[in-house]
Amino acid sequence: MRALTKRFDDVVAVDAVDLDIADGEFFALLGPSGCGKTTTLRMIAGLEIPSAGSLKIFGDEVGTLPPNKRPVNTVFQNYALFPHMSVADNVAFGLKMQKVPKADVASRVAEAIGLVRLGGMEQRRPSQLSGGQQQRVALARALVNRPKVLLLDEPLAALDLKLRQGMQMELKSLQREVGITFVFVTHDQEEALSMADRIGVMGDGVLLQVGTPEDIYDSPVNQFVADFIGRSNFLPGTVEAENLVCLSNGSRITVGHAGAVGDAVAVSLRPERVRMENLGEAPEDRPTLEGVVQSVTFLGNSIVYQIALDWLTIEARTENRPSVDRRDVGESVSIWWRDDAVAVVPG
Amino acid sequence: MSIDSLDQAAIDESVRLGEDVERQVAKQDRRRGFLLALPAYFYMVLFFVIPLLIVFVYSFATRESSGGTALSGWNLDSYQKLWDEISGRGTFYDVLVRSGMMALITTVICLLVGYPFAYFAATRTPTVRNLMLVAVMIPFWTNFLVRNYAWRLLLSAGGPISSFTEAIGLGETDLLFTRYAVVLGLTYSFLPFMILPLYASIERIDWRLVEASRDLYSTGWKSLTKVVFPLSLPGIIAGSILVFVPSLGAYVTPEILGGGTETYLGSYIVKQFLTARNWPAGASVSFILMVVMLSATVVYFRSGGKNL
Repeated sequence: MRALTKRFDDVVAVDAVDLDIADGEFFALLGPSGCGKTTTLRMIAGLEIPSAGSLKIFGDEVGTLPPNKRPVNTVFQNYALFPHMSVADNVAFGLKMQKVPKADVASRVAEAIGLVRLGGMEQRRPSQLSGGQQQRVALARALVNRPKVLLLDEPLAALDLKLRQGMQMELKSLQREVGITFVFVTHDQEEALSMADRIGVMGDGVLLQVGTPEDIYDSPVNQFVADFIGRSNFLPGTVEAENLVCLSNGSRITVGHAGAVGDAVAVSLRPERVRMENLGEAPEDRPTLEGVVQSVTFLGNSIVYQIALDWLTIEARTENRPSVDRRDVGESVSIWWRDDAVAVVPG
Repeated sequence: MSIDSLDQAAIDESVRLGEDVERQVAKQDRRRGFLLALPAYFYMVLFFVIPLLIVFVYSFATRESSGGTALSGWNLDSYQKLWDEISGRGTFYDVLVRSGMMALITTVICLLVGYPFAYFAATRTPTVRNLMLVAVMIPFWTNFLVRNYAWRLLLSAGGPISSFTEAIGLGETDLLFTRYAVVLGLTYSFLPFMILPLYASIERIDWRLVEASRDLYSTGWKSLTKVVFPLSLPGIIAGSILVFVPSLGAYVTPEILGGGTETYLGSYIVKQFLTARNWPAGASVSFILMVVMLSATVVYFRSGGKNL
């Protein structure tokens, strides 16, 4: 898509988005609610007509085609299963509308229902199924048409945690099996990180960053992305040299790549990359700061500390392992990190 | 007794206790609900059930030669006579068929006119919706009789409609006292009863289902017939009953706009009571009409309930 834009009256919901999604890719559009990701998806589906820009699927311009003329199917957020039809009729709907011969419909429906492991449920109504089963019907109903692109609008949001995690794995392996391009909209960063080949992060109608989960997590382009994908501490400062940042408390730290000299930047430091030592015991050749433990939050597999420095508060996360020392509120500590543990983003 | 079985007994006991409490709460809820419904029950019994029983009782009474009704010598004569009329293709048979046809035509026209209106209204912004619904209800602000007489003026030879058809070169029309006038009047009278339930059921439809059908290669027309129609079926059924039932027994409109040239069920019953002074006959027709309508309604709602 090129410069794809959607305006609702005066509000620009999606602002000039440029994006290429490869054939067979599992792509996640990630962003907070209201960022335009669902609108983007609906434009691909044909449920919204773009205000400007171009949208091509396999080289064919589809920007203004109605949804029934596009080789695209959608799994809707609340599944949107037809309540007056059985599971089999729901799955067969798309094929019947395309006037596929009856015998083919039957075999393809059976195949799709088998694919999502719902054999034996064919004659049930959607209301007689659990949330997870309805989700599978919605998947089968879309996949049975063998679309070139499958769009998924927060399909797991309505499921409970355990089921959601199970479906994440299933979706991922299903996508490998069928080889169809999946475009997946979610506001759950963990979901995006665990499933997608590539992620596009959106904020306020703008596509901020596109990359692999590792890229986006390790080298976010700005504070919004860094904070939305996982958590991060931002240490404000100014670039002094190619790989030297002067933090606003006066301490100088080396980084991999800082940017143009004189720029105001923030050093993004992930909580799990903050190392803690007894006061004064940090390695001398590493960036070091000193502070006091302000609060301790026990999360089971990890422990989160808020450490008050004299100019800001830093969040640190340690694993809950016997070999990692626990700290108490009020304890003075030195924190440090490796030069390559941080990313520099615009301040 | 082992510790395990003791525990099991304790668990059973607490489960029983819990169930008891639940039962009591449910019972209290039911009692409260009954008290709240009591005024409505009272009203219905006094003004609906009791009169109905009186009609029922009268249908078995004997007509005296003086025109009075003797509440003795209970018999099935009036029902027998009706059956003879139906099987012998008598007057009552004609009346029944004529009224049934009129009610059916009225229902179909109301559905054809009402559905697009209800669909349009249900898909507008809330302000426009409310304005359209108010427009549907405005006629109720005027007396039913007055509105029927107004139609008489409109339809009569030399009236506005006739003048209009003359002006555009179709010649004079005299619709008054024809079957067309009766259907027109019935449609006009009962259209709101079709529109309102239709509107309610269309408005409730989840439009994401329509989007889903469009996404699944359905054309706009197919989405309407395969998704919107089936999902608004309860409204179609309710609206059809609400139009068909009063049309079948209508009295005022066929009298005023039909001019009494043909007898419909409503007029037939009135004639039995007032002109022929045969109360048992009138009562039996009324009662049969009611039983047929009630059972049709029950059957409709049962099957409608199963479809959704």
